[in-house]
Order: sequence, then structure tokens, then C-alpha cells
Amino acid sequence: MSNDTLRTPGPTIVVEASNDTPLVWFDIAIRGGASADPRGVEGLHRHAALLARRGAGRRDRAELDETLDNLGAALDVGVSRDAVSVSGLALSRHLDAVIDLAADVLAEPRFSEEEHARLLRETPQVLDEIRDDDSALATRWFDWLCSPGHAYGRTSLGTEASLTRIDRASAVDLWRREVVADNMVIGLAGDIDETTAAKIVTRLTERLPAAGRASLELEVPAAPARGRRTILVDKPDRTQAQLRVGHLSVRYGDPDTAALAIAEAVFGGMFSSRLMQEIRVKRGWSYGAGCALRRSRLPHWFEIWMAAGIDVAGPAVALSLELFAEYAAKGPTDDEVDFARSYLVGSMPFHVATARQRMQLAVRDAVFDLPPGYTAKLPEAFGALAASDVRAACKRQLRPDDAVTVAVTTAENAQVALAAAGGGTLTVVDHDEY
Amino acid sequence: MSLLSWTLEAEAPAGRGTTARRHRLSNGLVLISAIDRRAPIVALQTWFRVGSRHEKPGATGMAHLFEHLMFGQTESLPPGEFDRLVERTGGESNAATWVDWTYYRLSLPARDLALGIRLEAERMQHLVLESGPVESERDVVTNERRERVEDDVDGWLDEQLMALAFTLHPYRWPTIGWMEDIRALSLPDIRAFYRTWYAPNNATIICVGDFEEPALLDLIASHYGSIPPAQLPEPSQVHEPAQTRERIVRAPKPIATDRLLVGYKAPGQDEADWAVLEIVATLLAGCPSARLYRRLVIATEAASSVDAQLTPFRDPSLLRLAVTAARGHTADEILGVIDEELALMAETPPSKAEVEKAKAIAETDFWTSLVDVDGKAEALGHYEIALGDFRKVNTLAERLAQVTADDVARVVRQYLVKDRRTIVIAEPENDDTEDES
Repeated sequence: MSNDTLRTPGPTIVVEASNDTPLVWFDIAIRGGASADPRGVEGLHRHAALLARRGAGRRDRAELDETLDNLGAALDVGVSRDAVSVSGLALSRHLDAVIDLAADVLAEPRFSEEEHARLLRETPQVLDEIRDDDSALATRWFDWLCSPGHAYGRTSLGTEASLTRIDRASAVDLWRREVVADNMVIGLAGDIDETTAAKIVTRLTERLPAAGRASLELEVPAAPARGRRTILVDKPDRTQAQLRVGHLSVRYGDPDTAALAIAEAVFGGMFSSRLMQEIRVKRGWSYGAGCALRRSRLPHWFEIWMAAGIDVAGPAVALSLELFAEYAAKGPTDDEVDFARSYLVGSMPFHVATARQRMQLAVRDAVFDLPPGYTAKLPEAFGALAASDVRAACKRQLRPDDAVTVAVTTAENAQVALAAAGGGTLTVVDHDEY
Repeated sequence: MSLLSWTLEAEAPAGRGTTARRHRLSNGLVLISAIDRRAPIVALQTWFRVGSRHEKPGATGMAHLFEHLMFGQTESLPPGEFDRLVERTGGESNAATWVDWTYYRLSLPARDLALGIRLEAERMQHLVLESGPVESERDVVTNERRERVEDDVDGWLDEQLMALAFTLHPYRWPTIGWMEDIRALSLPDIRAFYRTWYAPNNATIICVGDFEEPALLDLIASHYGSIPPAQLPEPSQVHEPAQTRERIVRAPKPIATDRLLVGYKAPGQDEADWAVLEIVATLLAGCPSARLYRRLVIATEAASSVDAQLTPFRDPSLLRLAVTAARGHTADEILGVIDEELALMAETPPSKAEVEKAKAIAETDFWTSLVDVDGKAEALGHYEIALGDFRKVNTLAERLAQVTADDVARVVRQYLVKDRRTIVIAEPENDDTEDES
């Protein structure tokens, strides 16, 4: 087994070898992602990535799909806020053939007019599917409204309006500009040795343009939004309220990251956490309740989540805000910090148990411009923190007075209680407005 | 001493370099162990042969309720202590219930295996079932049901399909239970259910990971060896009458476009044709080049998604096709396309290359399921409990490899016919889409 993260001119390369199955995974991350979409053209990175997968080299979409399926392989593209990803899975005996196809997608996507038009027709229907899914809908609205103007508020899917501004030429230009070796992180894991991995990296990148890493200048508001706000996303016939409460916080890799990971675990990252105990165990208001500091390259959200019965939606928001305010002010107790530290240190082996997991963590660290092994070494940072350090981080970074609340529920039955929950000015919007 | 109490019954590969072994303790408890030292962790799962099929009408949701109650107070553990002990190690606990089984999952650092065994043995024997905690968990479960069924159109479709497709078999009620039943489960009945099913001779422990087998056998024997076996109910076998005509239900929902769920009666997972239907499901909608995906999503753009799933149940169940209509298209139009594609597959066997494609995908899926210790444990547990023998995790792969193109055409003709299907359609409440058909 090896663990190499190489940083030389060209792509950053991660190799994690393990022959416990005859499978090889590869993850190619291309820095940029949805946060780099031009304002008003949200969805462009996703569109370019999906289009690249729909025909490359000498194969059109159908031929590419057929060839991959015949090999029992997968080649998927996706977009996060920070990167476009091209990910593959292959039986090791078919790896060469699958890498050839991936290299075609990177270097010679066809960007066919027919598929471009088809994709523009398809994407609004993905928006429909999100509107049909209360949890996804709550996340979409929260992302948009948590910190107006922030690059992470741009939806990776786009909006009905922004999709009309996506043209094929922009997608082609984006791909040529960003899909360059210096801008990529390539991870390989599984039934592969380092010599083979090096050859594969060469094959994946040798046909790419010789250009430097694209500069990423993303919008982050100088001053985060102040004051509490509540947005009720009105949807008929709900029996629950999908709730999100939070605010703009720090980037993953900030000096407070380790302290906030402990704070997150105490407040809402374990079953024993405060939110789960108060909301689920003591009151039975929601099947689950927790919080998360979103791990991203730029400052991102601290977010509380739950799905409370509609009859207790108001009290659930009020209690969450009350617990949040108390936690921000006083932080965790010494015992809670000890417990969370024990949990986080003890849980690390589960996050790095397989070659694929180790590779994915290393790729993520590289995309976030963190030192090699940053995440795997966090347990050392946990051990060095005193409880007072965690409490100080809570005071610095948690801002309950600026919490934004999003509730996807039926206004007719929940608006009065939500308005009285202490979440600030309440605005009602229709669920299919965005 | 305890080594003498165990009987080694079977062994078989469970992925590269891993051998799974079944041992039986004198009180009927079964252990399947598989050593995998790639990480200092263990997957410790306790599977019980009790699922929603073992419930009675009017008391549905009982098996699933235990998935919640089993993390509560025991005679030696105060409320919340189970989770705290596990989380302090860095481990995680969870549980799952389905029609044929319930299992409890602990993922632990290898050094804490003994703790896990102690906790599992404790809650198998000494769970405290009192009104307060039961009522609290009942509220949680009703909220879980609201989230997964009442406010989730896919959950609603799934529930309606099973309720309509099965008239006698217990597969007709949802694993989470009907809301009115969840609210009505009585404390005496809950206690009786625990006494009936939570016993060593109804359980199989799966342990995969970094441990020494003799020490594991000793530990389990010392914690479970004195628990007496229970008098288990005789297995009841309900034969669902053959379906002879199509069943269909429609309902308005707050959704953007039609959603369609079709279930064709299919054999149980252990029957020969199940493997053939697994290949059929892949050829229809299990990959980007699958027939229905190409026709509905790409060629006609009548659907935004299509999925096929063959349920892995012990008794005959369903091959399900789930489709979300695209804007301007209807479920009825999509049904027509499904019928055309099935007729084509029934009349003309697929090429050998097409069948080989599905087998290649199955091979990748097989290995993917065995990548980590939790996945290995789940695979071993499912095959041992649902099909009676963990070694069938390997024989299914062999069965898939033997499927021929003629088999495919034959099972499509036999199973995927209108008279054997049930259809559930959710339609937008305010349908302003234009029907282009």
C-alpha cells in the first residue's frame, strides 16, 4: 500500500494501491466548479462537464456509453462548488480501455450541438425533481439565501433564467481554459501499482493544452449578512417542515477548523450531541437533528438541519435558536470536549479504511489547497486543543444573531408559529420560484 | 473452554484474501467470522430473523420500532449510555429493518470489539421497555414516517405499490408500518415481540475485520453462552395468490410531473429465474446504454429518469420500474413505451454481447459490495438470513454468469406481462402540462 501526493509542475497526483478487489477507482478534480460560474450564467460548469461526457474522441454519446457498459465500467462527471470531477471505476483488467475513454473526455470532448440542446432541455427537469424533494429544496434555498453575493450561493444546476444564457461556445471555452494539467488533481486507488499509475497520469494529460493553472477569483462578501431572517418556502400539503438554520462561517483549513470540528460534534455531529438529544430524544420532534460545518475551499456555511412535524415547526426553530445562542456564548463543557475528541480521533480509521477513501480525502485536501495529509493529521490537532480553545472558537465563529432560517412547509399551517419563533423577519416565497 | 461449545459448520471465500466461517454455539447462536486486517476496525452486526413479514395486521411497524428501542435503556445501561459508549470509541451504531430481517450494526475500532459484544449481548437479553421511552420513540418514528412517506412522493409510491400488488402476503404492508398502527402498538405487545424474537437461536452475529478468531469465539461464548434459546414460532408461509389482472391506482400529489412505479411479480431471490431477472433489470434501466434509459430519457425525452430494481426478498416479490416523466409527457405515454420495449425483448432475445454487458456490470457490482468491512458484513448477513446460507453471496455471481439470451427472452415472456403487474401513478395536483401524446 502506498500513499503519495506528488506536487510537481503538472497535475497533483495521489495514488493509493490495494489489491483487495480487482477494481480501480480514479477521481480527476478540475479546480473551479460551480462557484466559478459567471454571474448570471449559473450552471455553466455543470453543463460543460455533462456535455463533455456525452461524446468524445471517435465516439458519440451512445458509443461511449455502450463501450463503458460493455466493460462493466463507470465514467461519471459531476460538479461541486470547488471542482468539476471526472470519476471512474473499472475492473483492473479493463483499466487501460477505460483510461483511454476518460482521456478522450478530458482532451477531445465533442460538445455536440444536439447534446447541448438536449441538456438545456433536461436541466430544468432536474430543478423540478428538486422542487419535489423537500430536503433538497430546503438546501437549495438555504444555499441561495444564507449569504447573498457569496460564490457558494450560486446553484450548480443553475436557474430557469441562467440556463437560457448558457451557450455551447462558453462551455467549449471553459473546458479548454480549465481542463489543463496544472489545474487538475488526479487520484488513483485500488488494484494498481505506482508504475502503472504514473503511465496512466501521462495518458490522461498528454493531449491537454499546455497552459497554467487557471486563476480563481471568487466572490466572498467582505461583510457577512447581519441580523436574523426567516424564509418560509411555501409548499402545499406538508406534514413537516424541513428546516435549515445557519450562517456564513469559515473555510476548511482555517486555523479554527479543528476546534470547530469538535464544536460541531458536540452540538450536532453525533447521536449524543445536544441537538439530537433535545430535539429527537427528549421531544420526539424530528427523526434527526444535527449540524455541519460545510467543508469547502472558501468560507462556507455552518448549518443546523432537521425535519420537524408541522405542528412543532415553530417551537423547533425557537429551541434551535435558543440552544445555538447558548452554545455560541458558552461553548461546550470540558467533558463534552473530551468526549467529542475521543469520538473524532477514534473515528478517523473509518474514514481512511479503504484505498478509495484515502485517495478521496487526499484529492479533496489538494483541491482545497491544503498541505498533503491535512485531514488525516487532524487527530493530532484535536489532541493539542484545550477545551478553552474550543470555547473561544465558538465565540469567534458562531453567530446565532445572524442566523438565516429556511423552512420548507405549508404556510397556511406553519406561518404564525414560525413568525413567532424568533428567527427575525419572515418572508414567504412559493416553492417553485427558484 | 468455549472453543468446545462451538461447531464450525461452513466456510467460503468472502472476497480476495478473506474467508468467512460459520460457527454455531450450543444455544443456537450463529457466528460468521471473516478476518480482514487492512484497517484496525471491525464490523460487528447482529442479524435477527424478524422483519415486517413477522408482524400481524393492525400491529405493523413493530419490527421497525425495535430498530429504535434497542438503543434505549437496559438493566445495566441507563438511557443514552449505549450510544455514548459506542461514540466515545469513535465507533458508530445503526440498524436496519426490512421485510425478512432486522440487523444492528456496530462499526468499532478493533480494540473495542469486546465492548461491542458486551453491549449486543446486553440488549439481546435485558432491554427495558417502559412507557416513557416507548412513547418518545413512537413520536420519532411517526416523524420518520412523515419524512419518508407522507412528505416524500417516492416513499408514497413505494408503499402504495406493495399494498396493491400483494393481497395476502405480509409484504403488502410497509416496513415502517401504517401510521395508525404505529400509534396503536401496545406496550404489552411490544414486550411480547421482544421476548419472542430476540433470542440467540434467532440471531446471527457477523464479525468482519481485524481480530483473532479464537479470542472472538471466547468472547461471544462468554457473553451469550448462558442465554437460553427461545421457543420460536413456527415459520408461517403465506402464498400470495397468482395475480391475473393488472392493478392500477392514481393520485394527485404536489409534484411537477407524473411519476410512475410499475411492479411485475417476480420470484424470490433464491429461485433460479431471479438471477435472470437481475440481468433483465440491468438491460432495461441499469446502465447508461440500457434500453429504457435510451428510449425514454435520450431518444424521446419523455422521462427525466428511469430506474429498475429487483427486490432481494426471500419470497416472490417485484421487479420494479420507476420513471419520472419529463415536462409535457405523461405516465400513460411512458407505459406504452415500456410495453413496446418488453414486447421486443420477449420476441427477440438480446444479443450475446448485450447479455455479456449486463454480466460485466454485475461483476463490478459484486466486487464493489465487498470493498469495506461493513459491506462484506452486510452481504454475508443478508444471504445468511434471507436465503439461509452466506455462501450464496458467491453462488449468485455464478448464477448470473450462466444466464443466456434465451433465458432473458423467456423470463420477460413469463414474468413481465400486463396481467402480473401493478401500477401506481402520482400526478401533479394542478396539472398544467400539455399532453403531447
